[in-house]
Amino acid sequence: MLNHPLFLLYGALLIGGATVAHYRGWTTTKISEQKVLPKSIRDNPGAYRSTYGGYSRYMGGK
Amino acid sequence: MSSPLVGPPVAKAKSLSCPNCGGAVEIRGFAHTLSVVCPSCLSVLDATTPEFQILQKFHGKQRFQPKIPLGSRGKIGEIVYEVIGYQVRESGAGEDAFGWEEYLLFNPYKGFRYLSEFQGHWNFIRGLSALPIETRAGMKPAVQMLGRSYVGFDSMSAKTSFVLGEFPWQVRVGDTVKVDDYVSPPQMLSSEKTEGEVTWSLGEYIAGAQLWQAFRLPGSPPSATGVFANQPSPLAGKVRSSWRTWLLLNVLLIAIAVLLSAFSASRTVFQQDYTFEPRARTEASFVTPPFEVTGHTSNVELYIRTDLQNSWAYFNFALINEESGHAFDFGREISYYTEGGETEGKPVDTVTIPSVPSGRYYLRVEPEMDAKSARMSYRLAVRRDVPHYTFFWLAGLLLLIPPILTSIRAASFEASRWRESDYAPATDGGD
Amino acid sequence: MSAPAANCPNCGAPVAFRWSSAVQTTCEFCHSILVRTDVDLEKVGEVADLPPDASPIQIGAEGVYQNKSFVVIGRIMYAYEQGGWNEWHLIYNDGSSGWLSDAQLEYDLSWLTQPPEHLPARDGVHRGKKFNWNGKTYEVTSLTTAHYKGVQGELPFQYWDKADAVFADLRTTEGDFATIDYSDSPPKLYLGRPAEFEELHLKNLRLFEGWA
Repeated sequence: MLNHPLFLLYGALLIGGATVAHYRGWTTTKISEQKVLPKSIRDNPGAYRSTYGGYSRYMGGK
Repeated sequence: MSSPLVGPPVAKAKSLSCPNCGGAVEIRGFAHTLSVVCPSCLSVLDATTPEFQILQKFHGKQRFQPKIPLGSRGKIGEIVYEVIGYQVRESGAGEDAFGWEEYLLFNPYKGFRYLSEFQGHWNFIRGLSALPIETRAGMKPAVQMLGRSYVGFDSMSAKTSFVLGEFPWQVRVGDTVKVDDYVSPPQMLSSEKTEGEVTWSLGEYIAGAQLWQAFRLPGSPPSATGVFANQPSPLAGKVRSSWRTWLLLNVLLIAIAVLLSAFSASRTVFQQDYTFEPRARTEASFVTPPFEVTGHTSNVELYIRTDLQNSWAYFNFALINEESGHAFDFGREISYYTEGGETEGKPVDTVTIPSVPSGRYYLRVEPEMDAKSARMSYRLAVRRDVPHYTFFWLAGLLLLIPPILTSIRAASFEASRWRESDYAPATDGGD
Repeated sequence: MSAPAANCPNCGAPVAFRWSSAVQTTCEFCHSILVRTDVDLEKVGEVADLPPDASPIQIGAEGVYQNKSFVVIGRIMYAYEQGGWNEWHLIYNDGSSGWLSDAQLEYDLSWLTQPPEHLPARDGVHRGKKFNWNGKTYEVTSLTTAHYKGVQGELPFQYWDKADAVFADLRTTEGDFATIDYSDSPPKLYLGRPAEFEELHLKNLRLFEGWA
């Protein structure tokens, strides 16, 4: 088993990487856009229009 | 002191003159040598008679030069041997013809051995007296000798085309034998058949470099091309040990994944039920009360459960840090149809937001539905630090690469080996 | 193993026997072949100089095989179409007699054995013929017509000036060895095994020019 030091190193890096990713809560897909929003949103949520708003692709129904 | 019946107590090497050309001929194999080749005129002479009768004159077109000179001495396996004979043998005809070299090694106590060389591949060979059992291995002929199995590799007619030095048998240029080779790398078992008589020999693959060192030869050995029949695979045990290492790493990966999941808090930090009236003319967007997202930076999971029936809803979300204003902005679409007995979609949705630092957060929610849809009730639940396995699956996949590569390389080496065999499973072209 | 001393009836030289059961020996000085009768030694013939031979074994050589030590005390030399070989007569430390065959430096040890079944006549044996002895299958691998070349030293039987004789060599798949000797009637069976040079732990061997 110890005939493969490079494989063990590679495996350790992968396992270490997966551990760090899990600990820090990474995901593989980017599902959100990050930005800084002004505090006025709390008082007037309707004033903010997200880039994700106006969903018009799905027409609904079959 | 007894007067011996068999010549002097110390056997002597002999020198004589060739009856054909007068050149000097040396006998280094003592009384074992039955035929010897004059190094000058290449005539084969009878060494058993004092006159050294000419048995065969040289009619060949070319003179070969042994790569290990006659008279060289070298130690193989703690035993010193002297090269006393050399022959070139050929097989096949025309384009498919090929030749190889054989060297006769001699030690007056240990006996005779042979070295064969083909395209830079060397074998150290000795005669066998044990009887092999002829069997089959699948589609190929095979042989079992002293408990070890050897698979048929090739079969050919071998003709002696050039000789030099001494031989303990009556050699002639043109001597032909039928050769069958069986392999169990690094060994090769060969049979030589002449009218009715069979002799078996066992060869072991030996590196040219080892011979050059043993015989203290200048320069380097000829480089080996291709893979030879009984050449040991450099990946011999590596495939198995590679997969064993993979198993170890995989077990470790799974253990760590399970451990980390067990330690994930999966704590619900916010939950609330809402309704949305698509026909109302009021502003759809609203903000939730703030909630604490604690602990080290990790993920946040938003769970949406609706009572949708045969319709859809779209949610625009922003998870906003109350202090910094930093927001994660995203949209989710939920649809659920059960018309006609078939189900399409789900009334629930889960989304994971990565690397959310701790702090006070609130959600800005903006639902949207078809204007004619019925009212929707829904629940929003936010959980902190949920297990997320994707990276472990990825690591598991990537872990497969080294053992798969090793297996491919090993298989490729064996394919190269068997491409040269007469019994290869797929033969392209003629024999 | 006391060695009764005697004198050669031909030349008077002292003749010593290493083995008490020796039936025949040769005089080292006048090369007479001497046979032991109840009373004394009788000369039955002479052996000419043996042809040159390259066996590293010589009379007086000693060895050990599987913890039994032995001494080489006699030989029979044969030649055949493709060369020659020696049958060396050994005496083990328990007084038993055995043979060490040296054919082009391939060594086989064997012992005279009572045949487990009646052996076929010479023309009843051919290459490939199988026998079942002691639970093993022996197959005839070669039939050799041998020319007797000479004898030397002590032998367990009378053997000189022999005509051509046929020897059948047999092998098993486990590596056993056997010989059927058709030089006499009834034929004699020898069972044995091949031996590597190292297994014999030989010393007092013949010297070869240029080899330490």
